[in-house]
Amino acid sequence: MAKYAKLIDDKDNVATAVADCAAGDELTVRFKGKETTYACNHDMPFGHKIAIVAINKGQKIMKYGEAIGSASQDIKKGDWVHTHNVKDDYKVLDKQGNPLPGQED
Amino acid sequence: MKFYGYPRPDGKVGARNYVALIPSVGCVNALVSHIEHMVRGTVAIRHDQGCLHPIADTEQVTRTLINLGKNPNVAGALVISLGCEMVVGEQVYEGIKASGKPVDMVRVHELGGMFETINKGAKIAANMVFETSGIQREEFGMDKLVFGTKCGSSDTTSGLSSNLVTGEVCRLMTNNGGIFIQGEICDIMGGEYALKNLSVDEEEGEKIVDAVRDLYERGMAVGADVRGSQMTAGNVAGGLTTLVEKALGANAKGDNVSIQGFLNYAEIPTGPPGRYIMAFPGHGFENLTGSAAGGAIVHLFTTGRGAPNGNPIMPAIKICGNAKTNVSMRDHIDVDVASIIDETETIEQAGQRFYEYAVSVANGKLTRAEILNFDSGMEILIKGPVM
Repeated sequence: MAKYAKLIDDKDNVATAVADCAAGDELTVRFKGKETTYACNHDMPFGHKIAIVAINKGQKIMKYGEAIGSASQDIKKGDWVHTHNVKDDYKVLDKQGNPLPGQED
Repeated sequence: MKFYGYPRPDGKVGARNYVALIPSVGCVNALVSHIEHMVRGTVAIRHDQGCLHPIADTEQVTRTLINLGKNPNVAGALVISLGCEMVVGEQVYEGIKASGKPVDMVRVHELGGMFETINKGAKIAANMVFETSGIQREEFGMDKLVFGTKCGSSDTTSGLSSNLVTGEVCRLMTNNGGIFIQGEICDIMGGEYALKNLSVDEEEGEKIVDAVRDLYERGMAVGADVRGSQMTAGNVAGGLTTLVEKALGANAKGDNVSIQGFLNYAEIPTGPPGRYIMAFPGHGFENLTGSAAGGAIVHLFTTGRGAPNGNPIMPAIKICGNAKTNVSMRDHIDVDVASIIDETETIEQAGQRFYEYAVSVANGKLTRAEILNFDSGMEILIKGPVM
């Protein structure tokens, strides 16, 4: 049975698997009438993300058309993308754009 | 698809036709429950607030009670006061009266205890039901619809299916001139700038960011970085990597529809129709109350694992994209969108289907939460210390 991943926006560089995946599985993305297949490099449970392009360290991870964090290491196309290779950049900012006190990296 | 609702004197249109029993303080809840059981057609708006707050919270509770009485699903209201509480019963009474609906008030200390108050209050309520139950549904335009939304007991499927389908409803219903109320400041955290960028007015957009700052600072006041508590171990195990990702999945309930303004908790929008962000929390009881007080006549409640709760005066439709939950929690789920995960239906198709379903609920179809009486609990948000 085909396994699928969800791509939400044109700008996204990750898709979300809607099946449990093992390394070597092929994941099909249907987006705007086009089907594309990506080979999983890692085991990855339902709901986790796969890189659909190579993402260099420091580059933004894009989902919903927005940056959700940045790559903490180089990520290859087909890699599992999660907390082990993504840095959460979010901080609550004051009106001048400086982080409010109390937030560690 | 047509909308048939109950006309109200202020020009608004209801999906239900209740006589609301509104305690000005939680101390009289028992008495309110007795009247509710005695008189068919009444709905008790039990809450535990109304006294020993800072002034700002007394004002917030008063505004909430007035605006619940003004909700178009309410045909008339009876305010039940104790007599010593901080919320002033007359203010609630006068506030609701301004909508032109029938409203009355009884006061326990003046009447001398429960039995005398029930004797007078139940008769008033019965007469009010007798008068208002004859109001007939009429056909109205889609521009009279006001929907609220929230996500609860969410999982990975929420941001991939039910929230996106709800976002499509937001797009469709606001295109038709309706009002859509979204909030959950805790879930906006991480996505506040995305929402600010969708705001038609920059100052209003900045208020959304301020609400997130306020939540963060109130967390720090008790020694908690709420960024951490908002991102749970279950979220990470389910595949959510960052707070921004979680927030964007929650924000998707409004798609990329422009935001007309920011609303304080329980505030009724007075600007142009469209999408609004209200400062209501994620917690279901205070959340649904804020939405209902804002004037929502139906609430679109997305869930992944199956949240059962509703609200006393506002039907809440449960929409779920998790195929397992749609079986295990079938008693509580109204709309199944596992089709989005299975790729057997598009977001656009499911959005149209859900929009039509929501209109059918506005037209009188009962939600699961209503059928199961899983809708009697509610609470009002307060922000300061309890004295």
